[in-house]
Parts: sequence; structure tokens; C-alpha cells
Amino acid sequence: MGSGPTSPIREPLVQGHKTYHQITEDLCSPTERAPSRAWTMAFIVALSALTFGVICILITIWVGIGTWRLNRTIGWGWDITNFVWWIGIGHAGTLISAILLLFRQKWRTGVNRAAEAMTIFAVICAALFPMIHVGRIWVTFFFFPYPNTRGPVWPNFNSPLLWDLFAISTYFTVSLLFWYTGLVPDFATVRDRAKGLRKKLYNVLSFGWTGAAKHWQRHEALSLVLAGIATPLVLSVHTIVSFDFATSVIPGWHTTIFPPYFVAGAIFSGFAMVLTLMIITRKVLNLQEYITIGHIESMNKIILVTGTIVGVAYLTELFIAWYSGYVYEQFAFFNRALGPYWWAYFGMMTCNVLSPQIFWSKKIRRNVTMTFLMSIFVNIGMWFERFVIIATTLARDYLPSSWSFYVPSIVEVGIFIGTLGIFFTFYLIFVRIAPVVAIAEIKHILKSSGDQYVKSNATTTYQQVESGNMEFEISGHDAHASHDQH
Amino acid sequence: MKDQSSYSDIWIGSDDLGRDEKFIDQATQEMPDGSVASMLAQGASFASAQTGRRDFLKYLGFSISAATIAASCEIPIKRAIPFVTKPDDLVPGIANYYATSYVVGGDYCSVLVKTREGRPIKVEGNPLSTISAGGTSARAQAAVLSLYDIHRLRAPQIKNAEGKFETATWAQVDELVSTTLKPESRIAIVANSILSPTEKNVLKEFQAKYPNSKLTFYDPVSSAAILKAHEAMYGVAMVPGYHFEKAKVIVSVQADFLGTWISPVQYAHAYSKNRKIKDATNAKMSRHIQIESYMSLTGTNADNRIRIKPSESSAVLGRLYDKIASSKGESSINGPSLNSSLSAAIDKTADELLKLPGESLLVCGTNNIGDQALVCAINHLLGNEGSTVDIQQYSYQRQGDESKVNALVTSMNGGEVDALIIYGSNPVYELPFGAAFGEAMSKVALCISTNDSPDESTALCKVLAPDHHFLESWGDAEPVRGHVSMIQPTIAPLFDTRQRGLSLLKWIGGKDLLFTAEQPYYEYLKTTWASNVSSVSSWNELLHDGVFTYSPVSSGASYKNNLSTLTSKLIQPGTGSEITFMETVTMGNGQHSNNPWLQEMPDPVTRCGWGNYLALPVAFDGTRKFIAHENLENGELADVVVNEQTLRVPVIKQFGQTPDTFALALGYGRTATGRAGLGVGVNVNPLLKTDSDGLIQYYASGVTVSDKKGKEDYYSCVQYHHTMGVTGEDSETKQTINADEAATVYMSYGLVRQGFQGSIVNRTIIRKSHLENIDDFIHDLQEERHEHQELNKKQVYPGHDATYARGHHWGMHVDLNSCIGCGACTVACMAENNVPVVGKREMSRHHEMAWLRIDRYYYGDVDNPSAVYQPLMCQHCNNAPCENVCPVNATNHSSEGLNQMAYNRCVGTRYCANNCPYKVRRFNWLDYTTADLWPINEPDLGMKSEKDGIPYGADNLTRMVLNPDVTVRSRGVIEKCSFCVQRIQEGKLRAKTEDRLLRDADVKTACQSACPTGAITFGDFNNETGDLNEKLKSPLNYIVLEEVNTRSAVNYQARIINKAEGVDA
Repeated sequence: MGSGPTSPIREPLVQGHKTYHQITEDLCSPTERAPSRAWTMAFIVALSALTFGVICILITIWVGIGTWRLNRTIGWGWDITNFVWWIGIGHAGTLISAILLLFRQKWRTGVNRAAEAMTIFAVICAALFPMIHVGRIWVTFFFFPYPNTRGPVWPNFNSPLLWDLFAISTYFTVSLLFWYTGLVPDFATVRDRAKGLRKKLYNVLSFGWTGAAKHWQRHEALSLVLAGIATPLVLSVHTIVSFDFATSVIPGWHTTIFPPYFVAGAIFSGFAMVLTLMIITRKVLNLQEYITIGHIESMNKIILVTGTIVGVAYLTELFIAWYSGYVYEQFAFFNRALGPYWWAYFGMMTCNVLSPQIFWSKKIRRNVTMTFLMSIFVNIGMWFERFVIIATTLARDYLPSSWSFYVPSIVEVGIFIGTLGIFFTFYLIFVRIAPVVAIAEIKHILKSSGDQYVKSNATTTYQQVESGNMEFEISGHDAHASHDQH
Repeated sequence: MKDQSSYSDIWIGSDDLGRDEKFIDQATQEMPDGSVASMLAQGASFASAQTGRRDFLKYLGFSISAATIAASCEIPIKRAIPFVTKPDDLVPGIANYYATSYVVGGDYCSVLVKTREGRPIKVEGNPLSTISAGGTSARAQAAVLSLYDIHRLRAPQIKNAEGKFETATWAQVDELVSTTLKPESRIAIVANSILSPTEKNVLKEFQAKYPNSKLTFYDPVSSAAILKAHEAMYGVAMVPGYHFEKAKVIVSVQADFLGTWISPVQYAHAYSKNRKIKDATNAKMSRHIQIESYMSLTGTNADNRIRIKPSESSAVLGRLYDKIASSKGESSINGPSLNSSLSAAIDKTADELLKLPGESLLVCGTNNIGDQALVCAINHLLGNEGSTVDIQQYSYQRQGDESKVNALVTSMNGGEVDALIIYGSNPVYELPFGAAFGEAMSKVALCISTNDSPDESTALCKVLAPDHHFLESWGDAEPVRGHVSMIQPTIAPLFDTRQRGLSLLKWIGGKDLLFTAEQPYYEYLKTTWASNVSSVSSWNELLHDGVFTYSPVSSGASYKNNLSTLTSKLIQPGTGSEITFMETVTMGNGQHSNNPWLQEMPDPVTRCGWGNYLALPVAFDGTRKFIAHENLENGELADVVVNEQTLRVPVIKQFGQTPDTFALALGYGRTATGRAGLGVGVNVNPLLKTDSDGLIQYYASGVTVSDKKGKEDYYSCVQYHHTMGVTGEDSETKQTINADEAATVYMSYGLVRQGFQGSIVNRTIIRKSHLENIDDFIHDLQEERHEHQELNKKQVYPGHDATYARGHHWGMHVDLNSCIGCGACTVACMAENNVPVVGKREMSRHHEMAWLRIDRYYYGDVDNPSAVYQPLMCQHCNNAPCENVCPVNATNHSSEGLNQMAYNRCVGTRYCANNCPYKVRRFNWLDYTTADLWPINEPDLGMKSEKDGIPYGADNLTRMVLNPDVTVRSRGVIEKCSFCVQRIQEGKLRAKTEDRLLRDADVKTACQSACPTGAITFGDFNNETGDLNEKLKSPLNYIVLEEVNTRSAVNYQARIINKAEGVDA
């Protein structure tokens, strides 16, 4: 989006005094080089995990849900835990692309492409679970409100599971469109540098983008419209997912705090996953100058805020349980903390609430290693949160006679590993096909106005120019080459 | 006649004959009226169109070729054999009921058997019976499954020279037996108690033909001491008739009379009469004191429990006798001395008994003649004889004397037996000296078994002459003097079997006339009763009713003061650890171990299925743990050493178990039986010892139990948490605290170390009160319910009330005071609703499918708690949490208040099960019924024999037991209690065809009709004069989790106990 004026005291979002050409070069080249050894190894690992997951899914469908260790008391375990976890992870992408866009947070341009891709892949992983966790996958079409010969048999519009179906499919569609809209000019850039079959393929992918002013105008208009649509989705999707629990009558599920609490948690975990991915990506693809420490610090701030919101939510739950005077609610939370799954509760509390507090320190916020560790912590903590809500609550509900315990079977674990495999396989393919950082968008923020480089970049330029070491560059030519040449 | 050769001689009708111009014109035309198509094109309608010859041929050709193509496709063959001549009494879709009797050894229950299309599918109680009074037991309910047991013997067999059984014909068997048996042969017949007068005649005739033959009766679980004591004290070897309905104070010493002892259905029915609170404002109930070492089903129902060691029974009875005798001015006996800690409790018990002379009852389950003689004497002193103890119409249900079997072993070993007939018994397994019996059998030239299934004794026989199942048999039973019950077949014999009585008659020979009849044993039976039954109509009436009573001649029993001669048999209390061996409600002593329904039914007390678990006493550590011997935890394995024999058994921590004692059930560890019972649990029979009278003692002293030796692979207990508010003493403050943290707190952190007090007790699931406090209790209950109801009124949804008002609104009432937890209803539900059996592995993973379960909670003092049973089925909530969360409307609400399942619509998200506060929904995790397309997961069910490959009950023979009115569910769908909707429909149709309003009695759910105590009432809320509304009037009623506003349709009546102060010990 537009390159509005930037405060001179802010550090530049792109470092290393990049020219438009260099940006194109830096960001397109990963798709053009032969895959590195690191990529190949990672891809083999991811693909193996995916294969294992697919086998486990086939076993589940073929033999039955009895291959899992769920039981009459605990009807959902790892399946729905993973579903909610993956959906949550997807949220950062939408938040970055939509809400930060509307709030004109320019630092988003460095990470939005990868974050949006992550959203798509995470939603694919998430959507898998509601489908395969049912007893009879071959009749899941009953979910859809299609005209049928069964008389007035419709899905039950009162059921949160049906709301989920609509919420997630809408979310997926909008996210996919948004992501692809952003990719179109970049695909065109790649196309312009490519030859032969590759060129043809990218031509198709870029819908014959020519870079005409009309194209840009439409592109930006569409981006804005999609941002407008996606913004409420950031809030609605996880709100609706939380309804799966909040509308039930089970103490520990039946809580009005769930919608905001789930949304905050989702953004929290989403940013953690973005960090996990971007810290590796920037290192492997040498993008430190595009995804700077400043980016990492900004995201760490969001993690700190959302993590604290989540912490407040946990404490509020405990307070309300005590304040309600309702014995079942009190027991549910007592049991979460001190019952048979106490370790999950403390894992959740430590990873989600306590550990992000170290980000109060600027030094740690700007420390890549610490950030990476923390991002893993948060991912684990948020998984525990969902497990605590689902399995712990079900294990000890109203009737003590039916209390039970649950540990997953190898098939359930395998499916989770499989979704990690799916996620990373897709991501690794993505970094080979598309520029990981939005080229067109990053070029917008390179300069504050006209040819004016931002802050340190600008200083360097003048020094270089003065010393005569550097050829003065006529801006825009190369950068907009793809737009102009056709 | 005209010329034959002329064309005109052949005519096509009157038109032709008359040479009608128009007709000839038409007839000679190639295409008379044009094609149908052209006709239609001219505007003629299809109906009026006429088919021309060519069209006809075209259509014919097309249809034939189409039919040929269609027929060449493979069409699945459906085996259905229509009746050529339909029997008058058999209408497809309409059930027929036949009155018959469930008799297994001495176990008896008068039943009605429901048959559909000629197949018996369900056992119901016979309300006309004065013994079982319409009640049934779990065993009786499960009997119908044993009819279709694939492991039953299907034909007579003879062992060949290599020791292998070969199928034979009955002629071969009869030939072999009659040539071997000589009139002077010394034949031993070993049987369990025989209730049939006709069969007793057969045996008499047999003995007349073979005068050297000897009958030996024993019972799988012996009550021989009762017989012997009564023989000494009354002159007649009998089990007297116990009238629990007349007893206001009941004291039982080691007798599990509600669960397993002698005639539990009869006793439970009678017992419950004085346990129901009919008028809460003037509440009265009997007082029941149980003195026992292990937590029996009866003990869980008692008001007071005194925990003794099994060897203390003589001392307890001696003390009781002395106390009562002294108050009656009789001299005391010099009995064994009683532990001082028990004396006070026993004295108070004696006071309780003395309060209501003639209205009290003392029963005792030990197999010690001295104990039983004391019981006779005490009941006599209390004046119970003739009121609660009936010595005239006494019971025949136990007639066995195992000491005689022991004597038989000696004579077999001494070569004094030429032939042995195992006549419906299994001595090799059931007796402690079974191994010796088996060895002695090898000394007998000819061993014959008439058992209908393979077992340990049958395996050692040479000739197998398998008996019919009782549902295929003719017969009779006289369980109590003067009470006769008929047995009639409900299906033609499935296999080439022969009634055992008939086999004996055949081997007697010389009755050729009889065998010309189609059903010889029927003819024989009829002649037995010929003198009593005067006409055909009265015979038919007898079969219709199934039961009749007559006044027997005096039994000749009278009290003889022989007590002093028997007191020497009293035993001294032992020291050290002891173990009790008890019978379970399900297995008996292994007679029922091949019945998957009974294996799957969790034991009411331990809540474990598929195996026997060593009960360990529990102690509260005063902080947060329930500790058992050697810190063993549920489902861990330990070695128990009894009488120098070691068994490795899984353990369970059992509340109420006397400290320093253990208990282990009989009836498991079968080595020769069908698939369900084979190798399940451990066999404890070899551990038992006999006393000096040759009577089996069901306990042992000097027991050691090791520490943990591993874990059971599949710990199949359906209830992990056992208590709801047990209280114990805090080790530091010495105050009484809620001790339930033990099961709820896993982490302890200083402040919260004691857990959340009240987290379990304050639940609105179980409501209970002491009889003395009943008025306060009612007040509090009503107040709390009122508050909940006021809050629930604030809901904004309209609810279904307007719909219900238009027709029926079904509901249920469960009286927790009547429910004794026997589990008959749970098996009845499985039978009625085709609930699959899942096996031990699946049960250990909490995949059991029971639609109706009986929760059991302990409360009160942690060391000696009371228990309450709560049958829990779908509550058919009017605000059902399951309904609104189903994404596809698979579970929805009927206009009559039923929460329904549409299995075909179910996708299997399990959200409904998660959201059910009562956890009554069951998911088909795997393909338990083989209703699936893919057989892949069938061997995965962890069934005993993977070779068999299919789940229990999924073979074509066992499938005959399925109720055709109820869908068999496939994997991946949720199922649950339907309030027996098929029975509701049947009742509605009956009322409609009879053109009258429906009465509550028209619809009885399976659980309701199975219940021996009438704890369950089903009916229509809208029927103001119905049974249900009558029960709803009680102020003791409550709704489980009423504050959740699910608006459950099941009302529970609170549990009231009548505990006497200071009796517990």
C-alpha cells in the first residue's frame, strides 16, 4: 500500500541500502536457484511426516475412530486440540495482512506474504481434523445445506459445528484470495526474469499482469476490499471456534469469556508461529535486511501484549469460578490446576503467561535466539491450552462415575505429526515458488517520498555518492521494470 | 362339419365368421392401426393407445433382452423361507410370550419368554409367580443368549481310541450305553440340585432299574451346612423359606441374599417391600444389619455394616445367641470368644433383633453346621419360626452335599464305580477337590456327560449326550414346597440334542411305547401331572400361567433343642490375614462364564467386568490418600498365596472390606468352555478347603498378598472414581474431613493440600438422608429444588410443553431406595436393544456400550461406608444439550418428549456425547456388530480368540437373539437409551386396536420389567391417574443436575437409610 511519510526517528524497515533492482534480485533468486541442501533435507523430513500422517489418517478412516484412545467420557482429544491450535496459528496471517494494513503498519510488508501463506496452510491442516474426526467420514456431506430428497432434512443451524463449517470455509476463501492477489505482481516479476516453460507457467500464475496503471489501481482496490472483508474474520473465526465450547453445558467449557480469550490466544500463537518460520527463513534465504530485528521486536511486542491478555483471561476464569459459587465450575478449575492433568495446566501457564514476560526487556526482544526459543515455547503453551480446555474438562465433569483418563494412541500422534508435515511441505514448496517477501509491497516502503531513502539508508547513500564509490541510481527504472516493459 | 382344407374354415371370432368387411380389411393389413408413436403423435393418449403386432414384438424383444441383461447381473441372495402353511399363532412382527422357568441347578426364576418369528429373543419376569413375582436376575436375563451359544454341543459324541471326540448318532450312544450298563452296574450320577419333580421320578425309575446306582447332589456354591443344621435342629434337611417381607429387622451374617444367596430374586422382591418409602410424612422402613467380611451386594444395601473376619462368624453368632438367650432366660453356650471391638456392636445388634420378636430375621451364609444351628436357635428364640422363617413351605433350591462327592471320589478310586453320569454339573471345576475327581474319573469304565456345553468335566467323559437348553425343553420345577413352575419349549431344538431326562429314560429301556410319541418327554411330563391336572383346558392353563401352587402336606419339621450337640462345630476366630471367596451376581461358580452379556456386565460392587479382582481393604491416610495393602493400586497385579498355592491376580481397592482380609470371586479361570469364558480371570476353587464335616469353607486363613508384580493388560473397570463424600479423620487436626481429595488431587501445594472440600459431596446427583432426619431433608430438598426451578423459569426459549400437551409425554421414575444394584436391568437392556458386547480390551478403554448403567457411590465413613446405586440411562431432557449441538439433526426431540437418535443421519462428531451432563451416550468406536462394509477392524477388537475373527454376537447363530424391532448400529454412530421406543409403539398400537386410552401398564421398558424390586416406573406424565404420576407425588423426588436446566424426564427418589446408632463396626 501507499508509501506515506515515515517518522524520521524510526529506523528504516529495509536495511542495507537496497536498490529496487537489488530487492528484485534478493527476493526472486531463491525461486530460481537450485534448492539448497538445507531445503532438500527439510523437505524430505516434512514429506516423511506428511506420509506418516496420511497413513495414520487412512488407518483411522479404514478401521475406525477406535484406533484412537478417546472414550465414552472424553469424546474429543488430540483431534480437536490440534484443530483449534492450527486455526489459531492461522490468525497472525490475517491480522498482519488485514488489520495491520488498515492501521498502516508498514513493517507488516516484510512478513505478510509468509504469514498469509502460513494462514492458508494452517487452515488446511485445521480443516482436516473436523473432517477425519467423525465416525463416518463418508457422510460428512450431511453438513452441507444442499437441496435433498430427504424432505425437510437440513443441517441444524443451532449447532456451533455448523457455524464452524461456514466460518472456516469463508476464512479460507478470503485468505486464499487475499494472498493470491498480493502474489500476482510478484509472479509477474518472476515471470519477467524467467525463460521457457517457467516463463509460461508464471505467466499463467500472474494472470498476464502487465504492470499497467489500471492493473495497479485494481490490484490496490481489491486488496483494500479484501482487507475490509478479512478484518472481521480475524475476530469471527476464532470466536466461532470458541462457541464449540462456550455454548455447551460442560463446566469449564460453558464460559462467556471464551470468544475474546480465544481470539487473543489465536493471535498470540499465530505470531509465535510467524516468528518461528521467519527466523529460519530469513537466515536460510539471507533476508536479514528485509526481515529485520525491528520486525522481530514489533512482533515480540504483540506477543507480549496478547500473552498478557491470555494470562488475564486465565486468571479471570479462576476468579469467576470462585465468585460464581457454583460447585461444578469451581471443581472444574480446581481440577484443571490440581487434577490428573495438572502438568498440562502448568505447561500452559508457564509457556503462555510467564515466559513471554521476558519481552519487557528490549534486549531480549531484539535477541533472535531468545525470540526463536520463546516462539517455540508459545506454540507448545498454546497447544497445552487447547488440550487443557478439551481433554481435562471432559475427563472430570458432572458425574464422578464417568470420570476417565485419556492418553493418545500412536495414530492420533501420527496425525498431528502428519499435519506438521503437511504444513512444512507446503511452506517449503511455497518458498521455492513465490517470493517470500512481497516484492511490490517492500518497494513501496523503501523510500519515504520520491527518491528519498529512509534514515540510515539515506545517509549511507550520500556518503557513498560523495566518496564517488557508487554510481548514482536512477530510481524506479529497474524496480518497475516488470511493469513497464510490456 | 365344413371342409377342413378351406381357409374359411378357420375363423377368428364372430366378425370373421360373419365375413365382416371392416374386419377383413383390418386383418389383412400389415400395420393395422399404425405404431403407437404415430398414434400418440395424432393426439391419442397413451392409455387409449393400442399395441400393434410389430410394437408388441418390439416391446417383447426389448423387455426380454433387458431382462436378460438385468438378470445376468449378480443379485445378492437373501435367504428367506416363506411359510407354505402359516402356523396360526405366528404372525410376523407380533411377539408371542411363553411362560417357562429359568432353572440352572438350584437357581430358579419363573419367566415369560418373548419369541419373534419363532425365535426366543428376550426373557421377562412372570408376574404370576409367587416366588420371583415378575422379577428377574441378570443371569435369567442373559439365559436367552446361551441358547444361541456357538460353543454348545451340537450332537452326541463318543471319544475314540485316540481320546478324540467323534460325532455320533443317538442310536450309537444308546447302543453303547445300554450294552455297557448292566442291571447290577454301580452307577454314580452327579448332579446339582434338581428342582424338577418329574426329573426326580426319572431318577427314581433309573434307580429302580439299576439298584446299585447312586445319586450325588452338590451345589456349585454350597449351602450344605444349612441343610445339615436343619436336619439336626428340625429333623428335616431343608433350606427354610425366608420371608423378608415380614421382617422389620434383618440381620445377615455373610449371606449375600440380595445378590447370590439361594434365591436372590425372591428375597430381593420381598426385602424391597419394607425398604420403599411410600409415605414420606410417616416414613417407615425395615432395618438391615449386615455382618460380613467383604463388600457384598447385600452389604452395600445395608443400613449398618459390621466388618468381621470370615473366621469370626461363629464367635459373632455365639455372642448374638448368648445375648438373646440371656434375655429369654435360656442358658448361654460356651462359644468362641469374640474380639472385644466387635462385642459392643454385636450386643446392639442383638438389642435390635429383640426389639421386634417375630418380625426379625437372621440369616447366615457360612457353610458351618455350628453357625447354622445357632441361626436356627436364634430365630427360634426370637419367635421368627412361622413368621419370617417358614419350615413348612421350605425351599428345594439347595439340596447338595459336597461331602458325598468327596466320598464318591474315594469309591471311584477304589474301583467301586462302573459308570459315572455327569448330570448337569461340573465337579471337576466347581469343587476344591475337582482335580482329584477328574483323576478318579479315569478309573471309571464309562463316563457319560449330559451337559449341553463343553466344560472341564465333560472333557473327561467318554460319551457326550448333550441336553437341550432349557428354552428347548419340557419340564417342571418346584423351587419351594407347594410352588410349581412349568418349563415349556420356546423353539424346536437347534441342534441334535436330547433332553437329559429322556436320555435316562432311554437307558432305562423297556418304555418303547413312550418313544413312539413325537415328544416323548412331554408325554412323560404330562403323565406326572395327570393326577393333578384333570382336563386339557386346565393343562393348557397351567402352561399358559407357568405356575401353580398347592398346599403340601406338613413337612414334619419341628424344633428340636439339639444345639448343644452342634456347638462343638463352631470355629475359633483366626489370627493373621484371611480371604473370602465369594460368588458374584454374574458368574455363579462358573456356570455362566461363557455368557458374554454376563462377562460384560460390570460387577455391581467393584464395577469391573471380564475377570475377578482381588479386593483389598482401603485405609485413609488422614491427608489425601486411600491406601491399600503394599500401596497397590487398582489394576495392578499381585501374588496371593493361599494354602500354599499362588495366584497372580489384578487387585482393586475395595471400600468396606474388613482390614487384614481380602476377597476374590469364584467362577473365573475356566479352562474348558466357550470363547467368552475361556481363561478369563483366575480359578480359586482349588484353593478352597473342606472342614471336618466335608463341607467347603469359602474362606481361608494365613493368606499373604505380595507387592506389585506388574499391571493387568486390560484393567476393565467402568468406574474409576468410587466415592461421593466419604469422610475420614484428618491426621493433623483430628477433625472429620471430606476424604475425597484422594481421587481428585494429584498435586498438593501447601494451602490447597486438602483439596477443595465439598467438591464431590455438594453435587446434586445423589440425594440421601437418614430416616430420622427425613423431614429436615425434605424441607431442604424442596427449598433447593424450588430455587433451581425459579431460575430455570427464566429461560427465554419456549420449550416443548405445548407439544406435549397434545399427546403423550413419557417419563420415568427411579426409586433409589428400591434399587439394590443387581444389574438385571442392564442385561435386560442389552438384550432388548441389541447392545453389542465389546470385550475386555475395549472395556478397559472405556468403550463399553451399555445404554443403562448402574453407578455406585460410597459415602459416609471412609472405613465402613454406605453405598448408593443409581441406574443411569438417557434422561430424555426436554432441554437436551445433545440436540442443539448436533450439526446434522441426527438427535432430535419427539413430540412425546423422547430424545431420539436417527442412526442413519449420524455423522459421528461425538459432540452430543461431550455435551451430555449424564454421559449416557455411547459411540461405536469400532465395528462391534459387523454391520460395516469393511471387515478390517473386526479382529482388532481384542476378543479372546483372534482366530474367530469376529466380535461376540456377530456370528449368524448368535444373531438370532437380536431384537428385530431395534436397528443394529454400525460403527461411527452414537447410540443411547431410547426409553424402549419400540415398546412404546407396541403399547400404543395395542391400545389403538383395543380402542381405548393408553394405560401406563401398556408400556413397560425392558429395565422396568426386569427389575425384581420395582425400582423403575415408566409412564406418561399426562396420564394423571397413571403409575408414574403416583410415584411423582413423593416429596423425596429430585432431578439429577436440575440446576443445569436440562429438564430431565427421569425423576429419582432419594436414598433413605435407617442406620442404627453404634451398630457399625
